[in-house]
Amino acid sequence: MSYAYLFKYIIIGDTGVGKSCLLLQFTDKRFQPVHDLTIGVEFGARMITIDGKQVKLQIWDTAGQEAFRSITRSYYRGAAGALLVYDITRRDTFNHLTTWLEDARQHSNSNMVIMLIGNKSDLESRRDVKREEGEAFAREHGLIFMETSAKTAANVEEAFINTAKEIYEKIQEGVFDINNEANGIKLGPQHSPAAAGGMAAGGLGGSQGGGCC
Amino acid sequence: MFNRFKSALLSSVGAAESAAAAAQAAVTDGAEAAGGPAARPAKFAYGRPAFLQLETEDELQVAGDRVIRPIIVPRDSSRLPWTAGYAEAVNAGKSKRNEDAAAVYTGVLHQPPPGGPAGDGDGDGLQRTGRSVPYYYFGLFDGHAGHGASVAAAHQLHHIIHERLVDVLDHLLPPDPSAAEAAPAPGVRAASLWIPAEEVAPEKLVTGALEAAFNDMDALIAEDRLKYDMRGGCTAVVALLLLGRLYVANAGDSRATYCRHGRAVIASHDFTPETERHRVRQLACQQPALTGGEFTHLDFARRVGRRDLGKRVLYRDAHMTGWAYKTVTERDLRFPIVCGDGKRSRVCATIGVTRGFGDHDLKAQNTNVNIKPFLSSQPQVLVVDLEEEAVTESDVLVMATDGLWDVISNERAAELVEQSLAAFPADDVTKRRYRCTSAAQDLVMSARGKLKERLWRLSDGTMATIDDISVFVVPMLPYREEHLLWKLGQEASAVRCAPAEPPSGVRQVSEPAQLDRYQSLVEQCGRPSPPAGTSPSGNPSGAAAAAAAAAAAAAEDPVETGVEPEFADAETGEPAAANGPVPAANGPSGTPPAAEQVGTVPVTWFGGEDATPVSRPAPR
Repeated sequence: MSYAYLFKYIIIGDTGVGKSCLLLQFTDKRFQPVHDLTIGVEFGARMITIDGKQVKLQIWDTAGQEAFRSITRSYYRGAAGALLVYDITRRDTFNHLTTWLEDARQHSNSNMVIMLIGNKSDLESRRDVKREEGEAFAREHGLIFMETSAKTAANVEEAFINTAKEIYEKIQEGVFDINNEANGIKLGPQHSPAAAGGMAAGGLGGSQGGGCC
Repeated sequence: MFNRFKSALLSSVGAAESAAAAAQAAVTDGAEAAGGPAARPAKFAYGRPAFLQLETEDELQVAGDRVIRPIIVPRDSSRLPWTAGYAEAVNAGKSKRNEDAAAVYTGVLHQPPPGGPAGDGDGDGLQRTGRSVPYYYFGLFDGHAGHGASVAAAHQLHHIIHERLVDVLDHLLPPDPSAAEAAPAPGVRAASLWIPAEEVAPEKLVTGALEAAFNDMDALIAEDRLKYDMRGGCTAVVALLLLGRLYVANAGDSRATYCRHGRAVIASHDFTPETERHRVRQLACQQPALTGGEFTHLDFARRVGRRDLGKRVLYRDAHMTGWAYKTVTERDLRFPIVCGDGKRSRVCATIGVTRGFGDHDLKAQNTNVNIKPFLSSQPQVLVVDLEEEAVTESDVLVMATDGLWDVISNERAAELVEQSLAAFPADDVTKRRYRCTSAAQDLVMSARGKLKERLWRLSDGTMATIDDISVFVVPMLPYREEHLLWKLGQEASAVRCAPAEPPSGVRQVSEPAQLDRYQSLVEQCGRPSPPAGTSPSGNPSGAAAAAAAAAAAAAEDPVETGVEPEFADAETGEPAAANGPVPAANGPSGTPPAAEQVGTVPVTWFGGEDATPVSRPAPR
């Protein structure tokens, strides 16, 4: 399917925080309680609609294991958006955010939009990191923040789509050079406004079909 | 090697075909059948190996991102036997696509019961289902000038090998005791099989099957290229695990290295213009017509030019390994049939590999000389008897295309594998399934390096490979255990089937003894079998202890053979060591590994030609 823009995302964070589950919930709308360790990198893609334009999200899901950190770093390049994920039931995953953030800032372009995600919000009884702490961390480092549940799908759509909206706004403001693919943004074949208008069925934030397109 | 090769290909085809090639390059994915002479359909659609499960165009595109060069591993490690490892990365722009191809196949050779497949043929109430022999196949094919040959080989070679193995299956298996009852009349047997005067060892038959299959594969591509769009050529390295043995068949410059405890024990031989200088020059000498008067089989100590006419220059003929003087004549000014050294060596100034499949239409750069006669599809076959070996959890076969070996020595690869395996110990039930995958990924990462200031560099700053990289890491122990169990099952059923009075030639085995042995084997297989004198791998420090013990043993007696596999070269019957020297000189460490003992043996492959050690350029 043709698109107006393609945004490349990466998902990063400690092992076991639910990165692959978030991706699966977003692309396939399903939850897999037992998930294989991600060894290398996984991909997912989905089309969404922003401001009446078809936007394709190409998502790179990375391995969280410390052993694979150096391989993971080489995937940051050329990403327009990053989902930095921690597990609200495991404080250590929250404590490691600074390291992840440094890594991301160092190996990606400076305009990359970073969304901080506190995952597993369905496990309220086992909560170890307060929502306010996440918010404070995000504020301090200029990130967008959301708590999600890959299990119940709560806020999963919003997390991916709000990141895309932020990138889209930056494009409108001229912050991103859309002709430089190193920014993680690619112009689609149907970029002309007329074609885009014809294609757009959903409104702002609406989404279409799951799976890889 | 490929840039020149590609330009040669382009310059050798006509203008019309170049245009078609350009058009071809311009068409988008999946629409290969463009107009013009290239309108023939593709026999096999381009894709990545099936076990990677990259199905959509999107996934193919991302996996083939030549800017990021992601390292792709199977999503589901259980897709490969014993969660063997695989990883790949695309080139950095050398060719449009990743032209490496890989295949894994788990097959069963089935021998029908004597007297036909009808089962209970003699009415004794015993069902006869015949015998089944499982085998495992791993293949890597490094394509050049297109993916036609490599993809074709990945789809078909295992089927051809299967047919060839079925052909000789009766000779591979020990006599079936139940066959004695329903033994066909001697005349029938004699008519259906050629019985060699001397008994031929099973490994010679498997080797023959592999060699014949390689030849068949090349012939099939030759035929198919007339019907389909099937361009280019490829190297081939195949590992076959059958009846307790590991067979490695190699044709080209990909390589399989057997690693144990961080050391490269033995490696397959690389076939390059440099290592095959002798064969190619002999051929050019004996059949000068093949060179089209454009190339000379003579080797000069330096490149001779017009100003050397009439001068005496050191040279060697095809029948020489040393040098002598010759007065240079006009005829000597022709280009040498083999030129250059190492990675830059070429046949007919065009191609940098001398064995494999395809290249049937390849012409020497700027000439009309066919290169194919100088190439060969014949593999060298190494045989390792895993039944006899003290195989450990750290025994793995690393198979990789030259993208890895151009920058990583055998020794370095063995070290890297050992480190990776240690991070995912075999005794950790949750982690062990990732150990080979992670090792394969680490190997690819170490060869691909990182992009620094627009150049791919290794961690020490030297240049990384820009070639496609594909790596298998195949553990040997699970196969050995599986094979021993299979063998016992066979023996047990032989006992059940054995008639009261066994015919001569069938060993009578008493059932209780048989069961005891079975029991002990099951126990043995239940836990990893460590080499003698080391702690069991069930102990977390087992691997390290084993490595230390092995190192200690090596230090005391560097030619310790007790722990080294018995590598026999099926072709010459000589120890393969003579032909498969491990380029141990590349190893960064100062201590000579055992493999170097192997490596220092003069190369006797193909009649004592080049004394130059057959090794890749040192990575650093």
